[in-house]
Amino acid sequence: MKALPTGTVAKALSAQVPEPTSAPHAPAPSNAGVPEPTSTPRAPAPSHTGTLSLPEDASTHGHRIDALLAWSHRFDAVLITVALGWLVLAVWRFRKAKQAASDGGTRRSRAWVLGLALGAFVVVDGTLLLGSEGYLRDVLWNFSVPSEDPRTVRIEINAHQWSWEARYAGEDGRFNTSDDVVTWNDLRVPVGVPVWVQLVSTDVVHGFSLPHFRVKLDAIPGRVNQTWFQAAREGAWEAACYQHCGTSHYRMRGVLTAMSPESYATWLREAGKQSAQAWDAEDVAAHWGWEWKAP
Amino acid sequence: MNLFASDHKAVARRYLWGGLGFLLLGGLLALIIRWQWAYPGQPVPGLAWAMPESHGAMTPPAYTAVFTMHGLIMIFFAVTPLLFGALGHFVLPLSIGARGLAFPRLSVLGFWLYALGGALVLGSFAVRLGPASAGWTSYPPLSTSVFTPSLGQTLVTVAVLCAAASSFLYGLNFVVTVVRCRAPGMTWGRLTLTVWGLFFASVLNVLFVPVLAAATALLLMDRLLGTQFFIAGAAAVGGGGDPVVYQHLFWLFGHPEVYILILPAWGMVGDFVAFFSRKPAHGYRLTAGAMGVVTALSGLVYAHHLFTSGMSPVLGRTFMVLTLLISLPAEVMYLNWLMTLWRGSVRLTSPMLAALGTMVVFGLGGITGLSLGAVATDVPLHGTLWVVGHFHLTMGAASFLAVFAGLYFWFPKMFGRALHEGLAKAHVVSSAVLFLGVFGGQLAAGYAGQLRRLYDPYQYTYLKHLLPLNQWTSACAFLLGAAQVLFIVNLVWTLSRGRVVGANPWKVGTLEWTCTPSPPPAWNYDPVPVVLRGPHALSQPEVLERLGRDWMGQAESFPEESETEPGQAEGVGGMSTSGGAA
Ligand SMILES: [Cu+2]
Repeated sequence: MKALPTGTVAKALSAQVPEPTSAPHAPAPSNAGVPEPTSTPRAPAPSHTGTLSLPEDASTHGHRIDALLAWSHRFDAVLITVALGWLVLAVWRFRKAKQAASDGGTRRSRAWVLGLALGAFVVVDGTLLLGSEGYLRDVLWNFSVPSEDPRTVRIEINAHQWSWEARYAGEDGRFNTSDDVVTWNDLRVPVGVPVWVQLVSTDVVHGFSLPHFRVKLDAIPGRVNQTWFQAAREGAWEAACYQHCGTSHYRMRGVLTAMSPESYATWLREAGKQSAQAWDAEDVAAHWGWEWKAP
Repeated sequence: MNLFASDHKAVARRYLWGGLGFLLLGGLLALIIRWQWAYPGQPVPGLAWAMPESHGAMTPPAYTAVFTMHGLIMIFFAVTPLLFGALGHFVLPLSIGARGLAFPRLSVLGFWLYALGGALVLGSFAVRLGPASAGWTSYPPLSTSVFTPSLGQTLVTVAVLCAAASSFLYGLNFVVTVVRCRAPGMTWGRLTLTVWGLFFASVLNVLFVPVLAAATALLLMDRLLGTQFFIAGAAAVGGGGDPVVYQHLFWLFGHPEVYILILPAWGMVGDFVAFFSRKPAHGYRLTAGAMGVVTALSGLVYAHHLFTSGMSPVLGRTFMVLTLLISLPAEVMYLNWLMTLWRGSVRLTSPMLAALGTMVVFGLGGITGLSLGAVATDVPLHGTLWVVGHFHLTMGAASFLAVFAGLYFWFPKMFGRALHEGLAKAHVVSSAVLFLGVFGGQLAAGYAGQLRRLYDPYQYTYLKHLLPLNQWTSACAFLLGAAQVLFIVNLVWTLSRGRVVGANPWKVGTLEWTCTPSPPPAWNYDPVPVVLRGPHALSQPEVLERLGRDWMGQAESFPEESETEPGQAEGVGGMSTSGGAA
């Protein structure tokens, strides 16, 4: 690649390494020095299944959304075939026809229009509505799953221009204590366990998304939003900001690593010990965590 | 040319030149975005003069300004002014048999507010730190002076207020004109579908543009006066600020705005498929009614833009149901268009090709929006290029093609000369096909997860493989830009030496074509016509038999019935079905 004209652009392009990038002002991740769990890849592999498909699904519930979307595509294909086929056929068949009908439809033909529209509406919109409602009831808005599961991992995420700061409660299970583990652009979760995220922003509106887990939630200053998901298998995937949040919005990238529950526990214990050693009670700004909000 | 002339046709011409100029600018900005996604960080050809220090390459701050200004310019300064300012101002009074708008001086004021806004937009490119860059939605706190301190952001915010004031004024003007200034005999059931579309959209302008104006004014106060309406945490110091309130206000306007941009297009499609199938519109009342239902629902669906904002489940479910509901009247209308083509005598003129192109892109755009209306399927697609492709097909491509359908149709009436049909057909067909390429490519990229507004999408490992797709999409976009040369050449050539046409080159019956020459005199009609029938009296057996042609003027009576009262004329056999002539 030829030399690029400006520092910004050059930096932008050279920053394509798939390691979690810390914001310039971010302190060194507190997990520094912790031995990497060997079983987990630290860099996400290009894990696409094809251009015309959704990102690979690495969650335990995302398949329900994907199936509903697949249904909606089948309906889309039928609707577009009928609409465009009809249009093309009409133009082809009645182009410059010698005679044109003189009426604006009959009672019967208008009833057909209403009936067809109603039929398509009931089938297509009905499927989407019921399918969506099922997912909302069972997963997206059903916080009884993470709140009732004793294994649930809770993470507080603080969005900044332009990085994701994540806080784990540590072994005592309470936030804002000395054994909290804080990471930058580096989320770690155990496989097969509900992960419950509460999300805030310190500056502008950001959008926290895990495309491979079908997770999307706004980070808005002044409120705590929450969502939950569950990783289906080990691996590393990207977290992305989906709300325009300023100049370096495109670099607001993190990596989520799904680990075996054992390596996750080891990592959290080791990182928590290091945090406790570095704990500075005077550093108020570092204690941005909050008391976990009930659903 | 008197720049303060209050004749609605003169105002329309001023909006036409302004709107086309901004369409060109907004289009060039779109091509820069497409360049950046195909060749990230490489110098944009021809842009070195504007950005010498990067040799014309996009930098992240420049890129945020480009996509922000593309959206703002297209919506507020190009497409709305072309649909309402140019076509609406010209057609609406003529079509209802009025001698002008209800408030001629208000329309002049509206135009100059638009022009002032346009000047501020252009000026913002010249100030230090460049124009607005917080996205066309201007979400706070990003759009406040703490995070976007540039003077350009302030200038553009004021420009949006100007455009909003202008939209409100012509909206009010159109509503009052349709209600009060119709010619004798021009009942509601005899209005063209174009007028119905413009009327409903004007009602939305009057109701919802003030919401945008209020939100923008409060935002401006947060920027300039130190208020904290939309600054979170303001509650902690005694205020009640909340950025989410802005999002609700913005989309309470923003979603009706989508229908403001498409309702006049729907109206034109409804008329043109009837005119050029030489047949009355199928289910005229159903179509007009469906547009009315969409209008009524349009203010009740907006919060689907906020499905991922953490809104309460009650709100989320309510807006999901209402959003899906709006597809029903749209389907009724679409099926009526198809039924109008059936058993007609289809003539593929340039306005007809543009109208059919509008149907194709709108159909695809509408269908791809269904999955965004349900919360679960919205989650993976929210904020991706799927959304971008969907709304560009509807309010971008469909509105664009409808603007050109209208322009090719009414140009002879506006200027007395017809645009070259061959060039016009080549323009609309190539544009429609390339629109499908561009926005189809965006739908595919969005489905694969590509997020909007990324300076360099390939920062993300999972998006790297989309580079070839994006390059292909960009190639379509560059060709689409090049295809517009067909229109520019046609326009310049026609204005100087185009074919001079008579009063009614398209052989249709609406008032502007049958009761006044091309172009019409200052007072439109002398005398004001007395309307006898609906707008689509085509292929009527009596007319074919007695006049030997397949069209009849809305105010025309059979030779031996010249003194017929309007009430009696409705009795003329077969006429009552021609566009709801009752
Ligand atoms: Cu962000």
